[in-house]
Amino acid sequence: MSVVQRPELSLWKRLFLVELLQGMAVTFRHWWRKPTTEQYPKERPKILPRFRGIPKLQDHPDVEGILCIACNQCSIICPDDCITVLGEPRTVGKGKQAKVFILDYERCCLCGLCEEVCPTTPVPAIFMSHEYELARYKRVDLMNDMKELYEPQPTKEYLK
Amino acid sequence: MKEQLIQYLAVPMLQIAAIIGVMLLCVMYLVLWERKLIAFMQVRMGPMRVGYHGLLQPIADVVKLLLKEDVVPKAADRWVHLISPIILMIPALACFAVIPFTGTSFEVGAFTIPLVNYDVPALTVTSWVADLNIGLLYFLAISSLGVYGLVLAGWSSNSKYSMLGSLRSAAQMISYEVPLGLSIVAILMLSGTASLVGIVEAQQEAGHWWLFWAPLGVPLLWPQFIGLFLYFVAAVAETNRAPFDLPEAETELVAGFHTEYSGMKFAFMFLAEYLNMILAALIVSVLFLGGWLPVTFGIPGLSELFGNFLPFLGGAGAAITGFFWLALKVFLVLTVYLWLRATFPRYRYDQLMSLGWKWLIPMGLAHVMVTALFMLLRG
Repeated sequence: MSVVQRPELSLWKRLFLVELLQGMAVTFRHWWRKPTTEQYPKERPKILPRFRGIPKLQDHPDVEGILCIACNQCSIICPDDCITVLGEPRTVGKGKQAKVFILDYERCCLCGLCEEVCPTTPVPAIFMSHEYELARYKRVDLMNDMKELYEPQPTKEYLK
Repeated sequence: MKEQLIQYLAVPMLQIAAIIGVMLLCVMYLVLWERKLIAFMQVRMGPMRVGYHGLLQPIADVVKLLLKEDVVPKAADRWVHLISPIILMIPALACFAVIPFTGTSFEVGAFTIPLVNYDVPALTVTSWVADLNIGLLYFLAISSLGVYGLVLAGWSSNSKYSMLGSLRSAAQMISYEVPLGLSIVAILMLSGTASLVGIVEAQQEAGHWWLFWAPLGVPLLWPQFIGLFLYFVAAVAETNRAPFDLPEAETELVAGFHTEYSGMKFAFMFLAEYLNMILAALIVSVLFLGGWLPVTFGIPGLSELFGNFLPFLGGAGAAITGFFWLALKVFLVLTVYLWLRATFPRYRYDQLMSLGWKWLIPMGLAHVMVTALFMLLRG
């Protein structure tokens, strides 16, 4: 433990309360600053391109059918064990495709490892979307199957 | 008989009702202004959801407070717990009786109330309920009664936080009563009267606000600035506002003396605190800043310029103008109050006591002496 030795204030500073007035000047300057507040439901935040929202599935026009090849790598690397993938033979061409893909948002920690390991080209089949409104009324709604993972979540419009 | 009944019963009743109504409205919007101003100083926006930029927020707050459940702790002294918000509230309201809101009286001609065919004679309605010749003493006496409300609230709640808060408030309010009184003595000597109306009239006669009283004719040598400073600091401490809000001290005592209060009773305590703030600002305006006199009063050439905005209304126009100037001064003083709250951290208890007894009281005594000396020199 050490005792901090502060310099004594000069008589002039003590007599005319200079430090107090300086403090008031600081708050006075802040008064005229533009507020940094964002009026959230009315005003949507600006999402930066590398923002990691909830993981979603996507297809690509260059690849026929489902982009996901059911390799299970995302499911293995997932630290929260929230991805379940079941495969079936591909309807077009060789290989596999996903038949069941379940993502449990309740457990997902938005780490983005699934997107990183995804081997599909030209884009990863599972990707971090820009959606951030995760609240649901029921727990079961947080279990998303393939159909729900494909469609973008509708943004609610607020009156105010 | 009938004239006396109207002059001394009906008119004061209406005045009291009007003052209470207007003051409660002022308190509501003062709370909003406080939240907004502090938000601006913290680079936030404050209430924004109810009404345009939160303008209807006070109404929402009042509705919330009225509808809330009134919880009384099991171990509380029920009666004292009920009475103490009322004890706080009554002195705060009673002090408004002596405040002169504007100088000119309203002349009301004789008229007949329709339906009941009651003839009302011509009346002169003043802007104050009563012009006591001991107005200042009345204010000091009544406003310090409020401390009983705080002490009893803390005691009756039977909670350690409330108890600590009310003990602090008792010590604080007793310590700061002395510099508050001392800072006013100089004004009493200058005006030669304790009536608040008389004090403003004395400033009108002197041709300047008491704040700018320059005994040696030297500008910027205004001894009343010390008086204003002393009064202001003591008034902040008296009304338990930041940075002297030790009785509430939300970081250490939950909410201090009103920890165990909710609903309507809490609303009363809240109201009393803000009424006291408005009252302190009104007294500053009346004693030091010339009450209803325009802000340009005392500057040669500009003195009469802003005396009456609505000359076509005659006396009523002058009265409304005076009211406007007083309201403007009170608003500015209250803004400084809130500015202090947004700037300074809370004093420690021992710092508060040493400031009061070691600095403000000697300063107050010196201020009285200096003013007396100057008055003597001037003859």
